[in-house]
Amino acid sequence: MHQIDLPAQTGFDEMLDRDHSIRPHYKPFFDWLNAQTPAMLGQRRKEAELLFHRVGITFSVHGDESGNERLIPFDTIPRIIPAEEWQLLEAGLKQRVAALNAFLHDIYHHQHILKAGKIPAEQVLVNAQYRSAMCGLDLPHNLYAHIAGIDIIRHGDGNYYVLEDNLRVPSGVSYMLENRKMMMRLFPELFEKHAVAPVEHYPTLLLSTLRQSSYADNPTVVVMTPGHYNSAYFEHAFLAQQMGVELVEGRDLFVKDLKVYMRTTAGPKQVDVIYRRLDDLFIDPLVFQADSSLGVPGLIAAYRAGNVVLANAIGTGVADDKSIYPYVPDMIRFYLDEEPLLLNVPTWQCRNPSELSHVLANLDELVVKEVHGAGGYGMLIGPKASKAEIEHFRDLLKANPANYIAQPTLSLSTCPTFVEEGIAPRHIDLRPFVLSGNTVRIVPGGLARVALQKGSLVVNSSQGGGTKDAWILEA
Amino acid sequence: MHLEIHHETIYRYDTPVSHSVQLLRLSPRRDPDQTTVHWQLEMPGTTDLTIDAYGNEQHVLTLDQPVTEIRIVAQGVVETRPPIPQRDVIPALVFRQATSLTTADDAIKAFAHNYQRLIEKHGRHGLMDLMADLLDHMPYTPGQTDASTPAQESFAQRLGVCQDHAHVFIAVCRYLGIPARYVSGYLYTENDHHVASHAWVEALTDGAWYAFDVSNACIPDERYVRLAIGLDYLDACPVRGLRRGGGAETMVSHTRVRSILHFQQHQQQQQQQ
Repeated sequence: MHQIDLPAQTGFDEMLDRDHSIRPHYKPFFDWLNAQTPAMLGQRRKEAELLFHRVGITFSVHGDESGNERLIPFDTIPRIIPAEEWQLLEAGLKQRVAALNAFLHDIYHHQHILKAGKIPAEQVLVNAQYRSAMCGLDLPHNLYAHIAGIDIIRHGDGNYYVLEDNLRVPSGVSYMLENRKMMMRLFPELFEKHAVAPVEHYPTLLLSTLRQSSYADNPTVVVMTPGHYNSAYFEHAFLAQQMGVELVEGRDLFVKDLKVYMRTTAGPKQVDVIYRRLDDLFIDPLVFQADSSLGVPGLIAAYRAGNVVLANAIGTGVADDKSIYPYVPDMIRFYLDEEPLLLNVPTWQCRNPSELSHVLANLDELVVKEVHGAGGYGMLIGPKASKAEIEHFRDLLKANPANYIAQPTLSLSTCPTFVEEGIAPRHIDLRPFVLSGNTVRIVPGGLARVALQKGSLVVNSSQGGGTKDAWILEA
Repeated sequence: MHLEIHHETIYRYDTPVSHSVQLLRLSPRRDPDQTTVHWQLEMPGTTDLTIDAYGNEQHVLTLDQPVTEIRIVAQGVVETRPPIPQRDVIPALVFRQATSLTTADDAIKAFAHNYQRLIEKHGRHGLMDLMADLLDHMPYTPGQTDASTPAQESFAQRLGVCQDHAHVFIAVCRYLGIPARYVSGYLYTENDHHVASHAWVEALTDGAWYAFDVSNACIPDERYVRLAIGLDYLDACPVRGLRRGGGAETMVSHTRVRSILHFQQHQQQQQQQ
């Protein structure tokens, strides 16, 4: 028997219910765990670390001046999700991404949703993420977010909530794939005991989604990276290799006759689809940031001429902006005429004076986030913050209220995790990846992140988070 | 009015440029109050015509053979009529997005506050007052700023040329919640005091897009030919390019705009010759 710290009575633990008995879908895993010696498990964890180092799956931390790369800690206790819960998540994710794509098409064309008064036009059109270069441009299948990473958490009430939509260049899928490979290598017997839905076909689905995004016959697909200084470079190289396509940087591409070509040893080769892993503003120095050396001059002209597909499209950031997030349920009703299947976290928009005063009066209980922030930076978690931090945010909010939203502090569910003292509950989330092509497809699983510090609610790897393997059980 | 335009730009490089791509916005816009009678672009390499999101004609010029000189000539005749208020091309609110060249700092904001009520009350006429006062604040002064000078810098220096005037006027408008866009084009003048290659502003007021030329403190009329509109200089300038190699660059640009008084007669004469 292992020493397992019990979760708090108020929260939701994925393995233990309120009475601290094992939830049925964790029973086979729990029994297996109890049959292993701590020495053997410790040995396996060391093995995993060594293997990850060898694969080179590392992550350079934003703001770490030494520029050191480090390993994201991997935890060997999986997050297990029963089949019927996944079915709900899958349906809800498909619905949500369909609405977000419809929204993006609409706001770059007729703006029906703005004219209907469902979302204040100003919030969309004066948004720094709205790209005028996209106005009136028709994209194949009207698709903007071919690859979406939707962050989902389970709250103390047991319900799943969408915390954030990531429609620009969502990362982390390589961890989903590598973590599964690692678990199968370390504990093959576990996969005999469990019917775990496979994830390893993700690169195949990604490639087919990218190929479907172009009207060209037999389109040439490339992965475009900002280069090896980027924190997700490993993933860019990994996905290109897994899909069997070229990994390119801006300098490997050029535009001629409004078409995009890559330089190859056999001469120029036309590129039809660019899976680009760099931000809009760096992609074409003749249209966006003039001093960017990472992009391709003339790319937007080729894009507007319909001669190349960018996945994701330019200008998707306006739909995953935290100030637009509160309207996603309305988008689902407006475009699909359906009720949302997944819950949104209640959100106060500090741009509205009445909501701002509520937020200012309750800073010690709320989470405050920057509208354009990401990666767990620039946020306040009221219940965990010091008086000084709260007062600092009060000043920030008063100075620029439109830059912030606030949400109740959600008690992310916990999952047992190996820590120094043994096994203890740690807060987790899940980022499934939604692929939109001719149909919408989701590999059953996702990036499962865990906040390794006791009590921490921030799962971002840049803030000391780790990852787990996420198991979706087959029905 | 019939305006004959000749616009020549020559780039010279110390060492050969191996590869370059330029976006050229050198064809007059097809707007209701201006008609292109004929127009011709001369340049090396291959070009392709596209229309950008603002409805500007845009040529993409690619050079992949080494050159030490790039010469671009745009010339032709444009018929202009008394201006009519322009319509929306893309949603007007987009022209409230501040760009790095048009961001209002505290000084510009303080200046803008003086005009807020005036503009709310008198719309276009309030903006005309703003235009006149802005030119007083920052008199036309060539040679002190360049294409990359942001609004706050020229405003603080209290000087600038047409693009600086346009950027500050735009920054004030957007800060006050008024959509405003940058216009680049040609201006016919009887004297050569101002360069014929010009920039001014259109602002959405009284329900339509009206033009304001801060550098001349006047309302644009038939002497103005629109080439391109955009969020700022970078978005609408006649030539924006990037090159590989070439060392130091020198650029010489010359623009001539002549008025053809009796156009029909002129054409007949030309045909007879």
